[in-house]
Amino acid sequence: MKTYINISLQKWCAVGVLSTIIFASSCKKDFLNVDPQGQQVAQQFWKTQEDATKGVNAIYANLRTWENLAFPALAIESTGSDEADKGSTVTDAPFFNLYDTFTVTSTEGSLQSFWTGQYRNINLCNQVLDNIPNISMDAGLKARYLAEAKFVRAYSYFRLVRAYGGVPLRLKVPADPSEYNIPRADKAAVYAQIEKDLNEAATVLPASYGSNDIGRATKGAAIGMHAKVAMYQQKWNDVLTLTNQVIGMGYALFPDFEKGFRTQNENNVESLFEVQCEFVPGNNDASNSQYSQVQGVAGERAGGWGFNTPSAELIASFEAGDPRKDATILFPGETTPQGDFIKTNIVNIGYNQKSYVPFGMYVSGNQGSQQNFRVLRFADILLINAEAANELNNPTLALTSLNKVRARARGGLTGILPDVTTTDKTALRNAIWKERQSELALESDRLFDVIRQGRGAQVLGPKGWKANKNEVWPIPQTEIDLSGGLLTQNPGY
Amino acid sequence: MKRIFTRISVLAAFCLLTINVALAQNITVKGKVIDGGDKTPLPGVSILIKGTQTGTQTDVNGGYSLSVPANATLVFNFVGYTAQEQAVNNQTTINVSLASSTQQLEQVVVVGYGTQRKIDVTGSVASVKGEDINKQPSTNPISALQGKVAGVSISNNATPGSAPQITIRGTGTIYGNTGPLYVVDGVWYDDITFLNPADIASINILKDASSQSIYGVRAANGVVLVTTVKGKNGNATVNYNGTVGIQSVTNQVKMTNASEYATAVNEAYAINKAANPLFANTNLGEGTDWYDQILRNAMINNHQVSINGASEKSSYNFSLGYVNQDGIIKTNNYKRYTARLSNDFQVFKNLKVGYNITGSSSTSNNAPASIYRALYTASPVVPVFNADGSYGDPASFQLGNGSNVNPQATIDFNNSRTGKYRVTGNAYAELKFAKHFTFKTSAGGDFGQEENRNYTPKYAATTGQTSNISSLSISRIETRNWILENTLTYENKWNDHTLTVLAGQTAQRYKSYTITGTAQNVPYAKEGDLYLSLGNAAGRTIEDKGSLNTATSYFGRVNYSFKNKYLLNASLRGDAASQFFGGGDLWGYFPSVGAGWVVTNEDFMKDQKIFSNLKVRGSWGKVGNAGVPINPTTLTVNQSAALIAFYNGIANTGASITTIVPPALFWERSAGTDIGLEMGFFNNKLSVEADYYNRKTEQAIFNIPILGSLGTSDSKLLGNQADFRNRGFELSATWSDKTAGGLTYSISGNIGINNNKVLNVTTGSNPIDAGGDGLNNAVVPTRTVVGMPIGSFFGYQVVGILQTAQEAAASGMPGARAGDFKYADLNGDGVVDQKDKTFIGNPNPKYTYGINTNFAYKNFDLTLDFQGVADVDVFNANLGNRFGNENYTKDFYDHRWTGPGTSNTYPSASLAGGNNNQTNSFYVESGAYIRLRNIQLGYNLPQSLVSKWKMQRLRVFANAQNAVNLFGYKGFTPEVGGVPTKAGIDFNVYPMFATYNIGVNLTF
Repeated sequence: MKTYINISLQKWCAVGVLSTIIFASSCKKDFLNVDPQGQQVAQQFWKTQEDATKGVNAIYANLRTWENLAFPALAIESTGSDEADKGSTVTDAPFFNLYDTFTVTSTEGSLQSFWTGQYRNINLCNQVLDNIPNISMDAGLKARYLAEAKFVRAYSYFRLVRAYGGVPLRLKVPADPSEYNIPRADKAAVYAQIEKDLNEAATVLPASYGSNDIGRATKGAAIGMHAKVAMYQQKWNDVLTLTNQVIGMGYALFPDFEKGFRTQNENNVESLFEVQCEFVPGNNDASNSQYSQVQGVAGERAGGWGFNTPSAELIASFEAGDPRKDATILFPGETTPQGDFIKTNIVNIGYNQKSYVPFGMYVSGNQGSQQNFRVLRFADILLINAEAANELNNPTLALTSLNKVRARARGGLTGILPDVTTTDKTALRNAIWKERQSELALESDRLFDVIRQGRGAQVLGPKGWKANKNEVWPIPQTEIDLSGGLLTQNPGY
Repeated sequence: MKRIFTRISVLAAFCLLTINVALAQNITVKGKVIDGGDKTPLPGVSILIKGTQTGTQTDVNGGYSLSVPANATLVFNFVGYTAQEQAVNNQTTINVSLASSTQQLEQVVVVGYGTQRKIDVTGSVASVKGEDINKQPSTNPISALQGKVAGVSISNNATPGSAPQITIRGTGTIYGNTGPLYVVDGVWYDDITFLNPADIASINILKDASSQSIYGVRAANGVVLVTTVKGKNGNATVNYNGTVGIQSVTNQVKMTNASEYATAVNEAYAINKAANPLFANTNLGEGTDWYDQILRNAMINNHQVSINGASEKSSYNFSLGYVNQDGIIKTNNYKRYTARLSNDFQVFKNLKVGYNITGSSSTSNNAPASIYRALYTASPVVPVFNADGSYGDPASFQLGNGSNVNPQATIDFNNSRTGKYRVTGNAYAELKFAKHFTFKTSAGGDFGQEENRNYTPKYAATTGQTSNISSLSISRIETRNWILENTLTYENKWNDHTLTVLAGQTAQRYKSYTITGTAQNVPYAKEGDLYLSLGNAAGRTIEDKGSLNTATSYFGRVNYSFKNKYLLNASLRGDAASQFFGGGDLWGYFPSVGAGWVVTNEDFMKDQKIFSNLKVRGSWGKVGNAGVPINPTTLTVNQSAALIAFYNGIANTGASITTIVPPALFWERSAGTDIGLEMGFFNNKLSVEADYYNRKTEQAIFNIPILGSLGTSDSKLLGNQADFRNRGFELSATWSDKTAGGLTYSISGNIGINNNKVLNVTTGSNPIDAGGDGLNNAVVPTRTVVGMPIGSFFGYQVVGILQTAQEAAASGMPGARAGDFKYADLNGDGVVDQKDKTFIGNPNPKYTYGINTNFAYKNFDLTLDFQGVADVDVFNANLGNRFGNENYTKDFYDHRWTGPGTSNTYPSASLAGGNNNQTNSFYVESGAYIRLRNIQLGYNLPQSLVSKWKMQRLRVFANAQNAVNLFGYKGFTPEVGGVPTKAGIDFNVYPMFATYNIGVNLTF
C-alpha cells in the first residue's frame, strides 16, 4: 500500500512538474505582455474630438504654472525693472537680487525654469498642432483649436525672445532623437514665426465665446498680441493698423481701475487675454497658481510671501493724486476697498495690489490661487496705439488714445491727471511711456518696455544695467551644456 | 618556517604521549551539553574518550552518561560547533557548553535555491547567525547587520518602523529599486520590515556576482537570503525574549540662543543693506530651545515568545512578537505585532511538505514630515506659548518665510497615521526519488494592505500654521504578489567525485494598487468621524494608480568537486521580464562560473601545522536589474489635474503628452569578478577571509537630463546611459579561543574598501545626473559624471573669506561682499564663474569596518561591537539651505566672520546671501565616524536555581546601542544615507539616538 502511494505520488508530482513547465511556457507571451496600469497609452490618444478638446485644455492649464506665473517669471520679467524690488525679508530668496542688480550668471536656476516653462507651453501647442489635423472632427472646431494653439505658442515665444533673444524654434514635436538638439534661431526668425502664428490665429479665432468658453484666446487677443509684438520690432505701421482693428472690436476700459483687478471682474470688457486661475477646494493640482501667493502680504494669514514689491521709484513716479497709485500698491496701514487692514509693521514698503485677493476668500492651499493673471488689457492696446500714432506723426490720434486711459484713471475725480495736450513728438512719446509706467505698473511689462524703448541705460543703468549685454538674460548654462555647445551664449555672459 | 612546523609537531606528539601513558580506573560521568550561544540543549553530540573509539551521544535533552577512566579526556564533537576537550580528573559531572563555529569546514551556507558546504563555495557568501542578529534588540533585522559583514554598508534610517538602507559592495544600480533582493524561505521581497528579528535562523548575503547570478533578474544590488527558525528536535521548548529600553538623542547640535540669534540676524540685515535691524534689542536671553521642547527620551518595548519542537515526522515553530517604540519626537509612536507559524511534515520517507506563514500588523502615529528641519530652523526668539496661552507666532517677529513655524503647533495639529497589514508565506513539497533526485515545488504569496490617513483640523495656531477648513486624506495601497518555483536537484557522490546539478523554473507576478481620496470640512469629534463621506460633497477627490509586472525565468547550476580539493561551480539563468516586453530585449541571460582549490586537502599539506584551512577561489558572473519602471518604453498620456483648464470658472479636463520615452530599453547588466582566499590557522582558532572584487555595471538605466526646450514635464529621458564600476577589497578575520581560566572569547574584525567610478556615459562630459536637496533655489550639490564616483559633490572651492569690500571688489566674483566666501578661480581667468566649479567631495564611503567581540566567562557574557566608516563626505545642507531667518548653529555663531580679520573660514551671518548660496566646499565635511554600535552584558542565572524554577535557561542582560559615537561632523549624524545619486546630503534627517535596554531571555 505504502509503495503504491509513493509511486502514485511520484507520478502525480511528475505530472505536476511537467504541467507547470508546459503552462509556464505556453502562456509566456501573454504572461509577460502587461498593460500599463491606469494610464492611457499615447497611441490611443489623439483619436477623437474629445481628445482634441483635452489637448487644447492642457495648453491653457499650463499657463498658470509656477514657471509661467511665479518666481521664475517674476525674476526674469519683473525684478530687473525699476518698478519692483525683491521683497520679503532681506535674507529670503536672495537670488532675486542677482536680477535686480544685473549680476546674474548663466547657472542661476530661474533662467532654466523660465525657459523650460515656456517650452512646456510650446510642446503642448505643438502636440495639438501636430495631431489634431489627423482627427476627424467638426471642421470649424478643429480650425479654432489649431488657432488657439498658435496663439499660445506665439505668446510663449514672445516671452522667450524678449528674455533671451533668439531661441531654438520648435514648431513640431520631435519625431526622433535626431531632432532633439537644434540651434538658436535668430531673433528676427523668432519674431517672424510669432507674427505668422498670430496672423493665422487671428483669421480663425472668434471675437468672443459663449459663457462656457470664456477665457479662450479670441481674435482680439491675437490681434492685440500681434500689435504688441510689432511694437517691439518698431513696425509702427503694423502696430497702428492692428491696434486700430482692436479698438474697433468693442473693447472698452473697465470704469473702476481698482475693481477691474478683483476676481469678480475677471474677463471684463477691458480684457483681451487672461491666464485663467481658480481655487478648487481639495484639488491642489488644479489650484496651482501661485501668482497671487508669492506677491501677497507677508506675515498675513491669508496674504502670501511678499515678493515683487513696489520700489520707491515706482511709488514716487505716480503723478500727484493718481488713484492708480493706491490701486496698484497695498500700503501699510491702509484698509482696502474690500475691508482688509494692512498691518503697519509689515516687512516691506508695500505689496502688489493687482495680484491681491481679499483675505476673506482664502480657504486653504495656495493663497489667492483664484486670481487671473492679466496678460493683455485694452488700456495697453490704447497706449500702444498712441505710441504708434505718435511715431507715425499722428499726434491727434495719439492724444485721443492716451487720454482715454487717463480719463479712466481719474475715475470721475477732477483736478488730477489732466489730459495731455502736447503734440511735440518727443514730449508726447515720453508722456506715453510715462503713462505706460503708471497704468501697467507691476504687471511684468516695465522691464522689457524700457529696454524696447532704448532707455535701458538711462532708466536701469543705476541698477547695474549695461548696454550690449543686459538687453537679454543669459541662455541657461545647463541648456548650453546639454546641447553639447550647439547653443551659443549671449554676448557679455 | 620549517622550524616552527617541527616545534609544533613535537609538542603535539608529546601531548599524545602524556595522555596514553596516564591510564586509570573507570568512573561514570554525567552531564549536559548546551549551545554556548542560546543555551539550548544539544542532542546528538558525539562524546569520545580521547584516543579511543569509545563514546556516546547526547540524548534529546542534551544529557549523557558515560563510563570512562578517571583521568581520561573527553572530546565533544558536533557539526557546526567547535570541538571541545575536557579532562575528567575524577569529576562525575561535566557540563559543556559548545561554541558554535562559523569557521567550521562542515559549516553549511545558504546559497541560491539550496545550501552548500562553506568549503564548496567558490563565490563570496557571508553568513550571519540569528543569535548574532538578536544580540542587538533592534526592530529591523537588517540594522543589526551593521558592521558585521565586510563590504556590506548599512545606513540606518532611525524613524521608527522604517527600513535601513543596505549597500553591498558599493552602489550597484542607480535607477528604480536600489536595494538588494531579500529572499525569505524562497519568497522574494523588497524589504523585510515585517519580519521579527527573533524569527530569523540565519542571514546569508550573496556578495559576488557569481553567487547572485542565479537570481539574475533582480540581483544587481546583491541578494540577502533569510532562513527562518524551524522547530528543533525534542520536546516543546518555549522561549521568551524581552527588552525594555530608552532612546535618547546623542550628539545633539547646539543652536544659538535668542540673544545670539538676534545678533546674527541683525548682522545679516546690515550686510544686506536693510534700512533697519530686525531686532531693536538683541538682549533677549536664552529664548526657546526647540530641541528641548519637542524631543524626548522615548521608550521602546520589544517582546517575543516562541514555541517550537519536533518529532521524527514533523516539526513546528510558532512565534509572536510585539514592538512598541516611541519616537524621539513627542507624539510619534510605532507598534508592530507579528505572528509566524511554520510546519514541516515528513509525510513519507521520501516526501516532505511544509509551509510557513507570517502575519504582521503595524500602526504608526507619524511624526510631521519636515519636523527635524523645522526644529533646526525654528527661531529661539519665538516663545512656545505666549502669556495668554496662544502659540508663539514667528510672524509677530517679522521673521519671514525661512523660519515661519512654531514646531509645537506643528506636532500638536499633526494627525498622520499609517497602518499596515501583511500576510505572507509559502508552501512547499519536496520529493526524493530515484535515489539521487529531489524535486521541490514551492508557491509563495505576499499580500499586503497599507493605509495612510492624514487629517488637518480647522485651526489657527500661528500666521503660517493655519487652516480655514479641515481636510482628510486617506490612501490605501494593496499589494498582491506571488511566486512559483520548481526545482529539480540531482546529487551524487562516487569515488572522489561529488556532483550536484540543479534545474529550475520560476514565475512571478507583482501587482499593486493605490487609491487616494480626499475630502474637506470633515468633523473630528471622535475617531469614527474620519470618513471621507462626512466631508463636503463638493471638492471631494478620488485618484488611483497601479502597477503590474511579471517575470518568468529558467535556471540551472552545476556544482562539482573532486576529492574535496578541486571545486567547480557554474550556473546560467535566463529571465524574461514584462518591463522589457515590446522594445529592447525581452530575455536577459546571466551566466556564472567559479573555481576553487582547497589547498589544505592536498597530500603535501598533510604534515604542515600552520594552516588548518587554506582555500583559493575565483569566480565570475553576470547579474541583471529589472528594477526599472513599469512599461518604460510605452508613451502614456498625462491626465494630471494640473492640466484642468478653467473657462469662466468651469473646470474642463485636460490631457496631453508631456514626456518622451526611449524607443527601446535593454537589460542593465553587471559583470563581476571575485578572487578570494580563505585561511584557518591553529585548528581554526584564527580564520581569515580576503576578497578582491571588480564589478562593472553596463548599460545602467538612468533618467538623464534632456534639453528643457523639448518641453517635457520633467526634462528627463530614461535609457541605458552609463557604465560604472565598483572595485574593492575585503578582509575579515576572527580569533576565537578559550583560556585555561575558562574565558571563551572571539574577536573579529572586518573591513571593506570600495572605489566607485563612472566609466562611460552617453552624455559625454555632461553630467548624467545633477541633483539633491542642496541649498535653496535649485542649487544642487551632486553630479554624476564620467570619471568620478556616482553622485559626487560639485561646487566651488572655498579658499577663505573676503575680508574687506576692496578684496570683494577685486575677487572676480560679481556682487561679492565682505564676509562672503572667497572661491578659488581655478581656471585663472580672473572671473569666478561656473567654470571654476570642481569636485569637492565623495559621498560613497571608501572604508567600512567593524570590530565584533564576544566574551563569556562562567555565567557572564559580554559583547562589544564597534563599527564605522572612513573616507566619506557629507554635505551639510541643513546649515546652508536658508530662505530667511533660520536659526544658526552655536558653532557657526561662535566662528562667524564679523569684520576684517575675525575669521577666514566661516562667512558672515548672511550665510545665504550674495554668492554664498552656491554649493561649495564649506558645506562638505568628513562623514567618517566610529561608534560603539552595541555593548551588551549578560548573566545566566545558575542552572541549579533555574532548574528549581522549572526552566532550562534564564539570562538577564543590559545593552546599549550607539552609546558612544565619535565623529567630527557638525550635524547630528554623519549617517545620512540617501538614494545613490543624491546620497550624503544632511537635510531633515532624523537625529541619531542611543538606546539603553534591559532584557531577559527565558527558555522552559
